[in-house]
Amino acid sequence: MRHVNLKLSALGLLLAIAGTVNGGQPVASSVTAKPAEGKLSIDKVYSVYLRNSGAIMNKNQIKGYFLLYQSDKVDRHTNEYTLQILDENLNKIKDIKFEDSKSISLLESAYNGSSISFLFKNEDQKTLDMKIYDFDGKLKYTYSRDFDRRTDDLMKQYVNMRTDEGTNRNVFDIGDEGYASVLPLRDGKQRTYELDYYSSVSKKQFTYTPEDAEKFAVAEVLGSTDSLVLLNVLKFTHAGKDATSHLVGINIYTRKKQFDVATDEDKAPFTPMAVTPLDGTNDLLIMGSYFEAGANVMKDASKGLAIYEVTSNGKIVNKTLNSWDGDFSRYLAISDKGRIDNVGYMYIHKIIHSADGKFFVAGEGYKRTASAMGIATTVLSGGRAYNGVTKMTITDMVVMQFDNRFKLTGATIYDKPNSSALDMTGAADMNSQHMIAMYLKSMGCFDYDFTTGDDDYSNFSICYSDWERTGDFKGKTFTSIHYNGKKFNVDKLPLKSKASSLKVFPGKPGSVMIMEYFKKDKRLDFRLEKLG
Amino acid sequence: MRGVVIRLILGFVPGFVFFGSVLAQSKPVAATTEFVPVPADESLLNKLSNGYQSDYKEELTHLPSVNKKDYEDIYDERWKSIKERFDKQEIYTDPAAQAYLDALVAEIVSRNPVLKATPFHCYFSRSRVPNAEYIGEGIILINMGLFDRLSDESQVAFILCHEISHFVLHHQENSIVKQVETLNSPEFQAKLKAIQHSEYNKRAEVEGLVKGFAFDSRRHSRDHEAQADSMAVVLMRATRFDLNGALGTLALLDTVDKDDFNLAAFLQLTFNSTGYPFKKKWLKKEEGLMGGHVQLEQSELSDSLKTHPSCPLRIKLLTPMVQSWNTPGRMKNVIDFSRFDELRERFKYEVIEYAYVSEDYSGNLFYSLELLRDRPNDPYLIAGIGRALNGIYEAQKGHRLSKVVDLPGPEYAANYNLLLQFIQNLYLEDLASITYNFLTPWHPRLDHLTVFKTAYEQSAKTAAL
Repeated sequence: MRHVNLKLSALGLLLAIAGTVNGGQPVASSVTAKPAEGKLSIDKVYSVYLRNSGAIMNKNQIKGYFLLYQSDKVDRHTNEYTLQILDENLNKIKDIKFEDSKSISLLESAYNGSSISFLFKNEDQKTLDMKIYDFDGKLKYTYSRDFDRRTDDLMKQYVNMRTDEGTNRNVFDIGDEGYASVLPLRDGKQRTYELDYYSSVSKKQFTYTPEDAEKFAVAEVLGSTDSLVLLNVLKFTHAGKDATSHLVGINIYTRKKQFDVATDEDKAPFTPMAVTPLDGTNDLLIMGSYFEAGANVMKDASKGLAIYEVTSNGKIVNKTLNSWDGDFSRYLAISDKGRIDNVGYMYIHKIIHSADGKFFVAGEGYKRTASAMGIATTVLSGGRAYNGVTKMTITDMVVMQFDNRFKLTGATIYDKPNSSALDMTGAADMNSQHMIAMYLKSMGCFDYDFTTGDDDYSNFSICYSDWERTGDFKGKTFTSIHYNGKKFNVDKLPLKSKASSLKVFPGKPGSVMIMEYFKKDKRLDFRLEKLG
Repeated sequence: MRGVVIRLILGFVPGFVFFGSVLAQSKPVAATTEFVPVPADESLLNKLSNGYQSDYKEELTHLPSVNKKDYEDIYDERWKSIKERFDKQEIYTDPAAQAYLDALVAEIVSRNPVLKATPFHCYFSRSRVPNAEYIGEGIILINMGLFDRLSDESQVAFILCHEISHFVLHHQENSIVKQVETLNSPEFQAKLKAIQHSEYNKRAEVEGLVKGFAFDSRRHSRDHEAQADSMAVVLMRATRFDLNGALGTLALLDTVDKDDFNLAAFLQLTFNSTGYPFKKKWLKKEEGLMGGHVQLEQSELSDSLKTHPSCPLRIKLLTPMVQSWNTPGRMKNVIDFSRFDELRERFKYEVIEYAYVSEDYSGNLFYSLELLRDRPNDPYLIAGIGRALNGIYEAQKGHRLSKVVDLPGPEYAANYNLLLQFIQNLYLEDLASITYNFLTPWHPRLDHLTVFKTAYEQSAKTAAL
């Protein structure tokens, strides 16, 4: 096990000092001999704090981890921070020291093969600051943009989210030349989004604001290529009504939309959920729910899952439909409204194009169930306060297999205990299954954590958090559905620990990184565990 | 492989700390008999441990009354470290080996009467790390991983004399006193108090304070090493050993990192089979973050923080003494060279066995592969590699791989890192099939070996899953 020693990281030169770490708590240095009671020791006069931690990714692969410490106070308004960067084996690569406002927090990090970027939130200045460093840890560029109440939704996401591919949710590496960040914006009932691009090769930044009248638009990032940021945009005529679903590609070189495809042009609406580049071409493979012609995606049930092949110019060159009542019913028990029995609706987390040419898709169920709390408060208020009598429940994992013509060839449900996601308080009007899914995802409600695997996906593991309620071990588990190129196996990692808190991060292929904080010892341990 | 590590030893002053992994390989020797490890004598280990615990408790009663709690804390930590060596059966209890070591020590003590007043005890440690150290309570350990690299008894004698010197000169105890006194000194406390009262820029202040402390401590450590070298030659002078053993040992240490083993090719050769062909991706190393893989930083600062002077400098300091005192008739081997040679050979295997029993599977595998290169038909090594791979399989399946194998890191030698990367790249099905196909050619020829038979049967089961 490799212990990361916060004292050493913060002090740099305290080589003679054994030490420990802590998350969010002061971590003190201790010298081998501590002076007797009443006398001072270093741990009594100096502390460092772990402020943030997360994974550093490039092209969907884990490249390392970052730890942000507050290593000193410089004046009333300024702190000194140490940004420690670890490689995928938890070896310390670099300590970067810098001074900044005492109220910054590190939101995300990304790596593009030639630089590393960190997105900070500066509460004092009300700015989002993107800092880009070179390989020597030297600050290359700093970009700032204001944030205000319009970005509150984003900030809530950062508080709540459990990310689908590690830390990154809104910051992406775009080729070797820069990074993009997509910000959801909300102003009253108006919802829209912005995209920021930050160059890592020259001091260049731009913000893309949707040019058309998209006063009511909700964007979800589907992925990115070397030049495109791909979004699923739901556009509303007015808040919450009559939405149309669009596949939007924004070119960071032209700074314009490369395409904006209304996915219901043929009257059969399509709501994209996941995208992956199609190997050997410049095309993209996009998967999502499709609806009956003329259906309202805000109200109606979907008919099944569609897979679109789309060129880099946004031209749809192929559509393959897999219906609930036809294709899926051969493998799963389906109700008449596109619900999978005991699973509910399905959200698509990941499309995996494996080395053997097959397509696998990781999905997760969600459904609306009665909320005892919502019913009680509604009844007690005599109906005056409608707090939503339903709640959303996250159900099982579903792994589907498609052939090279994108037709379903198999689907397996991986049972896991249902987990209550959230009462639909304040969201009583949210009837669209797709909107609900986007909301659940943005709030970090799904149990799916990430998919880790070889770069050609000859082996991969779909990972999610789970609970074990029977057997020798009862408690939280981390489960992986592993594909070894031939078959799937399920592996459960009991998250049994004496630590005060424990967090699982994605790791290098086949591994996860486990961070444990031992409050009593003020120690933070990191270890990599290979999945079984 | 806790040990093939370039590291700075902190706090106490150990004797030798040897960096790197492997010396030049020994000449190919066909194993005529199967190696059988000497079982640890638990009763003897308990007896010894209890005896030293009594010594430790007695020692506590003689600690200075001023800052006594600080001293007790340090001595307590030291005792825990000593006890762990006995509890983990690191101490080698083979009576014949111990008798040989005792005879070597007797040659030194009997000709240096001053040493009779302060009894101490020397043991072989089953560690592969090329190191020797005085660990406290009058205990000196010489690691098998160092012993098996030596050429003759005069080199062993120098190492023993060096560690005896640390003991006689109270280097550890003096370091503890210095540490406690420094941390409790009015000057140090005043500086800490000033830092405590300052609201801002504490880090730089603390860093400066600690840096000075660390530099001072390391400088003393280097001084202690030079003193121990000099005194070792003085002690050797009274014996019949050739004093050139001192220079030879230091020269050996200077090249201990050299390694010409093409492990990548050997892994492919060893683990390739028609049943499960070797895959190049098993050796794949991902491109490192931020422009490469982590390297240990070398700087003037790190030089200043070294605990030991460099070997060339140590040789330079000792050479005049050796040249003037090395009278004719001195011998490279005084006690029993055939026993020395026999132990060198045995220790090559004992360290492998100890790595396994102490659940250091990556170390066990690495040492085994190194030896297998020259002894490709060695039954113990073949069975042991199967056993280690099965252990890695089980650990990975049980999510405890990190407890039994190291992660690649800059502190390790290149070959060891390659093996670690290899292990990291294997999925369970790879491990199972590699092990089974590696052992199959030896079945049923080696079935009479319990370790082999068990390993083979286990691998057959896992490969069939």
